[in-house]
Amino acid sequence: MKKLVALCALLTMGLALAVAAPQVEVSLAYPVAVDAPITAMLKAWTQDYMARNPGVSVTLVFSGGYPDVKTAVQTAIQGGAKAPTLAVMLATDVYDLVNAKYVDSLDDLVAQAPGGQAFVKDFLPAYMGNSSYNGKLWSLPFQRSAVVLYYNADLFSASGLKPPRSWDELGRDAAALTLDGGKTRWGIEIPTENPYWTFQPLAIGGGRNVYTDDVTVNFNDPRVVDAIQFYMDLSQKYRATPPGVQVAWGSSTQNFAAGKTAMLVHTTGSLAGILKTAKFKVGVMALPGKAPGSLASVTGGGNLYLTAGHSAEERKAAFAFAQFLLEPSRIAEFSRATGYIPNRASAQASEAFKAWLAGVPQAADAVAALASAQSELSTQNLNAVKTVFNKYLQSAFNGSMTPKEAMDAAQKEANLALADYR
Amino acid sequence: MGRRFRLLPYLLVAPTLLFVLAFTLFPLARVLVGSLFKHRLNVPRYQVPVFAGLGNFSSLFQDPEFLQVLANTGLYVLILIPLLLACSFLLALLLDGQLRGLAFFRLAVFHPTVLPMVSAATIWLFFFTPGYGLWNQALRLFGYSGPQNWTGNPSLALGALVLVAFWKNVGFLMLFFLAGLQTMDRQVIEAARLDGAGGLRLVLGMVLPLIRRQSLFVTTVAFIGAFQTVDHVFVLTQGGPSETSALLLYYLWQLRFERLDLGRANAVTVIMILALLAFTIANFRVSERHEK
Repeated sequence: MKKLVALCALLTMGLALAVAAPQVEVSLAYPVAVDAPITAMLKAWTQDYMARNPGVSVTLVFSGGYPDVKTAVQTAIQGGAKAPTLAVMLATDVYDLVNAKYVDSLDDLVAQAPGGQAFVKDFLPAYMGNSSYNGKLWSLPFQRSAVVLYYNADLFSASGLKPPRSWDELGRDAAALTLDGGKTRWGIEIPTENPYWTFQPLAIGGGRNVYTDDVTVNFNDPRVVDAIQFYMDLSQKYRATPPGVQVAWGSSTQNFAAGKTAMLVHTTGSLAGILKTAKFKVGVMALPGKAPGSLASVTGGGNLYLTAGHSAEERKAAFAFAQFLLEPSRIAEFSRATGYIPNRASAQASEAFKAWLAGVPQAADAVAALASAQSELSTQNLNAVKTVFNKYLQSAFNGSMTPKEAMDAAQKEANLALADYR
Repeated sequence: MGRRFRLLPYLLVAPTLLFVLAFTLFPLARVLVGSLFKHRLNVPRYQVPVFAGLGNFSSLFQDPEFLQVLANTGLYVLILIPLLLACSFLLALLLDGQLRGLAFFRLAVFHPTVLPMVSAATIWLFFFTPGYGLWNQALRLFGYSGPQNWTGNPSLALGALVLVAFWKNVGFLMLFFLAGLQTMDRQVIEAARLDGAGGLRLVLGMVLPLIRRQSLFVTTVAFIGAFQTVDHVFVLTQGGPSETSALLLYYLWQLRFERLDLGRANAVTVIMILALLAFTIANFRVSERHEK
């Protein structure tokens, strides 16, 4: 009888404990449209985290791409449901996300977390450009990339060419490496389906980024117009790239790896995939600028946001999980699997990353490209502004407007889209 | 003595009525009211809706982008619908006959229907791919070296969407025509044949009038479907290049989810509902006039 009473007491205590210490639920929405085994890696890390933190339950929510994650977050919040606690969304979306109150500031969590300030300071300044707004911190760099020039180094050395140092050299090299008017091989391919991002290094290399701040775009700046003219010259003057809007984002990496184009402008996020499939020596560098010796690149990729509408406990647990994901060793592992550039100084200094660099020197070139990188187009009402810019860039590329006409129209419409914020 | 109130019929209709109220009429009313307000989630001063009367509608009709989207949608519907109707009817005529391997051909024509539009568009994306895309490869056999990127060429992108929607839907619509042909009174056709009618005259003078009900249904379904499919735009062109392939529903998605402009999104929804309603009513009217 005594035993039974003791057992009952024990069971009740156990039950009480279970009730007293409920699990804190954290979820992470992640866009899986990346050509790398990221889901397996994230799942393993999540298991590891839950084993170390029994009071926290982490769920991973995988969606297609950045727009899908953003749509999921906004429909949840607007429908009165809980959005995934953490979400990887475009770094450049910060203004719309903050204005619409979809995300929460991280400032209080950074202040509370042990070593919080040092943790934030460790991120590369180039990647913190899109994290602050209205004097508050809203996101942490997660999978960050940059636009670089991939080149077929074997072809270059076989033709006695050196990597280009200016627009002129880029055009001439591309012309020299074009075979059969492009039927066998183009000199260079620049994806133009959603062209603003891959165009930005040309504008930056010409001396002017396409925007200055969240309410100012420089679409009709003569240097931006000049950069469009250089893109046109690549097909019209040098006959080294398909004319108009021809190059698709997805298939262009395969074209490069198969030797159908000698150079390719693409994201560092494709590095791992390209190195795996290309059967030649791949060179990676920032794009040459107009002036000899100058270089240009542009940042890109997704940041980790904390969505709105969660309890203090959930926010704290989410931030702790974010810190865990962004530990230098994990960033290094993530970079090795994908080609995304490590976004923390300590991750770049880690042994794991150095060991990888020793085997893959191109990764060091990708990191070096970051030195000449400026920020990706990020403004208020971003999607309206982006649509306008893409539309008129393509009109210029396709020859239905001159570069100047197109950019004057783009500037006018973008100013209208930004009028409510001035 | 007044009629006794009978509860049962109301009870029987109640579940359906409740659903229609909750999922059709209530949202419709909200959209109508919402279209009269300036409401933009990403502009602090319009986060609380501000009454704007018909402001959203007038600004839409002054916006060159919206006008271009309307023109794109009009062109898309004008090419797609006649093409679909004519070809699905022809296919139904062919597959109604005594063909060897009839079951195989019926299956071949019908099978795109069972694919989700996203999968169909993804398959076609591969066909349209510049360089090694099947479509270009096939055309190259005939000495063609022209446009390589179908979805990136401003004069071809909308055509590419039409092609995919046509391939996807022609079999589905064919099925209704086929059902019409098979339930048609064959004796009338035989009588016409005996009277010397044949070929085109038989089809236009006898068959078409006899399956008018199916034609009405197919036209309405095809028209509404053309407005409602958007998946292939997402997969193939995202409205590009230069917005030459942006259709109304895609633009609506852009307004609502990308630009967070609820007022205008509501206004576009109202315009779309009105267009569909006008077409459906007109279609029924025309068809009923023939009936008399």
